[in-house]
Amino acid sequence: MSNILECKNVTKVFGAKAALRDVTLNIPRGKIVGLLGPNASGKSTFIKLCNDLLTPTSGEILIDGKKPGVDTKKIVSYLPERNYLNDWMRVSDIIGLFRDFYTDFNEEKAYDMLKRLDINPKDKLKTMSKGTKEKVQLILVMSREAQLYMLDEPIGGVDPAARDYILDTILSNYNENATIIISTHLISDIEKILDEVVFIKEGKIVLTKTVDEIREESGKSVDSLFREVFKC
Amino acid sequence: MLANLMKYEIKGTARLFIPLYLALLLFALLNRIINPFGMIESSENFNLQVMFSIISITVYFILIVGIFVMTLIIMIQRFYKNLLGDEGYLMFTLPVKSWQHIVSKLLVSMLWTILSFIMAICSILILVDSDNLFKEIRQLISRFTDIFGSAGFFTLPYYALLSLTTGILMIYAAIALGHLFSKHKLMASFGMYCVLYVIYQVVMVLFILVFGKKIFTPVLSSPIPTPSDINTLVFSFSIPTILIMAANFILTNYILQKKLNLE
Amino acid sequence: MPWELKSDRPIYSQLIEQIELRICSGVYPLGSKLPSVRDLAQEAAVNPNTMQRALAKLEEDGLLYTNRTSGRFVTEDVNMIKQVKNRLAKEHVQVFLKKMTELGFDYEEILSIITTIAEEMKE
Repeated sequence: MSNILECKNVTKVFGAKAALRDVTLNIPRGKIVGLLGPNASGKSTFIKLCNDLLTPTSGEILIDGKKPGVDTKKIVSYLPERNYLNDWMRVSDIIGLFRDFYTDFNEEKAYDMLKRLDINPKDKLKTMSKGTKEKVQLILVMSREAQLYMLDEPIGGVDPAARDYILDTILSNYNENATIIISTHLISDIEKILDEVVFIKEGKIVLTKTVDEIREESGKSVDSLFREVFKC
Repeated sequence: MLANLMKYEIKGTARLFIPLYLALLLFALLNRIINPFGMIESSENFNLQVMFSIISITVYFILIVGIFVMTLIIMIQRFYKNLLGDEGYLMFTLPVKSWQHIVSKLLVSMLWTILSFIMAICSILILVDSDNLFKEIRQLISRFTDIFGSAGFFTLPYYALLSLTTGILMIYAAIALGHLFSKHKLMASFGMYCVLYVIYQVVMVLFILVFGKKIFTPVLSSPIPTPSDINTLVFSFSIPTILIMAANFILTNYILQKKLNLE
Repeated sequence: MPWELKSDRPIYSQLIEQIELRICSGVYPLGSKLPSVRDLAQEAAVNPNTMQRALAKLEEDGLLYTNRTSGRFVTEDVNMIKQVKNRLAKEHVQVFLKKMTELGFDYEEILSIITTIAEEMKE
């Protein structure tokens, strides 16, 4: 099984509106893939479907050959765009929760990263700023030794300095056989670390290529190509 | 995994209940010591002591009522916020089945409801003269065994637990149904609760219309119904309740599994 | 030496150029061991797969070699490095000459400008 993720003709309809239309996509192991599209193009819907937070209207998603469910949740590490931390726990409590539920969670790694970022594990989540909470979430997600990481807008809400730190954290913490899917609309910050990009527009996939293919063929950065494809 | 879910559910709720329970017991003790009823009776005119006594009793009663209101609110809030709010992004990506989420929340809610009753009883025991109370309890128990026989010690708790489970699951099902609406989810949940409650009542009435003759005849025909007649009656009534309970559970699980749509 | 990557050309070929430059300028001396792919990728803030491809190409060209057990090393062949240096020099000079011709200087003038400026810089 060389593909970690396979989507066959996946469609998701909300009421009368189709958020994803007939998406077919294969993503191999050991790649960093950028899922790029403007707001409301279907990026989050796609990621939620892969995490069993939504059920496809039609079509099939297979992760490691299995439909999204308990078995895939064990090997997929998901960073939602929302802050899912409750406000009454301490950082050490939520680390305990991850340790209790995920067998691939590396507690030592999590504490290491907290230390490097000067976050006190005894601090209550309630007292933390939005940016710090986002960092805690990223640490939790990247401390798992997962086979597939799905990061929904990981650099959306943070300042450029923290962005570099986050990209560095992603690069230094994933294992080489794992695949990372990063959804974002901030492309210039991220394109250097991507193998492949998937452009998604109004629920449809319009382009799948490697970053170097794009640069070689068009003589443009992914960012400028993106601006061209999604010109209003 | 169910045990782990329950562990975090208890952690998440205990911090709210324990202080309330302690406050209740503390005020019961305080009222016992200062004996406000005696104080109010014996004092001839309104003074500071009387006022203090009235406040102390009032706080105690507010606490008793408050504990039951809190039990209900926390039951609703834990399901709504922890599963269907932003925290749902974490809960539903844990490698557990959706029925385990429901069962863990249900069992912990039942635990707190029962504990709230026990605490209320304890506080009364602290508050009042225990000799008299025990005498009355003994009388109550003997009257109870007259009606239900010793089997009543099983049938009544059984029916109470069943009703509690059904009640909680009906609240969960209503919240889950309300979640399907795109706007005014809480209002929709409340409306759905009314609908579910009406359905429950309709099922009960239908049950009585169809099987009523069979069930009630032995109870009504004898001038003094025997304990075994009464217990059969309770058991018979538990059948439609079990059906409703199962339906609510299946409905909630289906919505969480297939129709989940976190904001 | 910071990694300078332009956004309109393939990252892979730019990485090759940058590593060649580092070898020629002695940042990675002859026969020395290179950092791991992961460390290099992190240093340059690029995808490890792309770094891996660049290193594989350099290996194919003979500028690097892999010792199965101990990692990746810079070649000990002085001539090979000289060749690379000459090639890089040629490329730079070609670009330079093209620009100077565009400005309207002829060969003699260019040579004299170079000598004058080199003298100035010495002082």
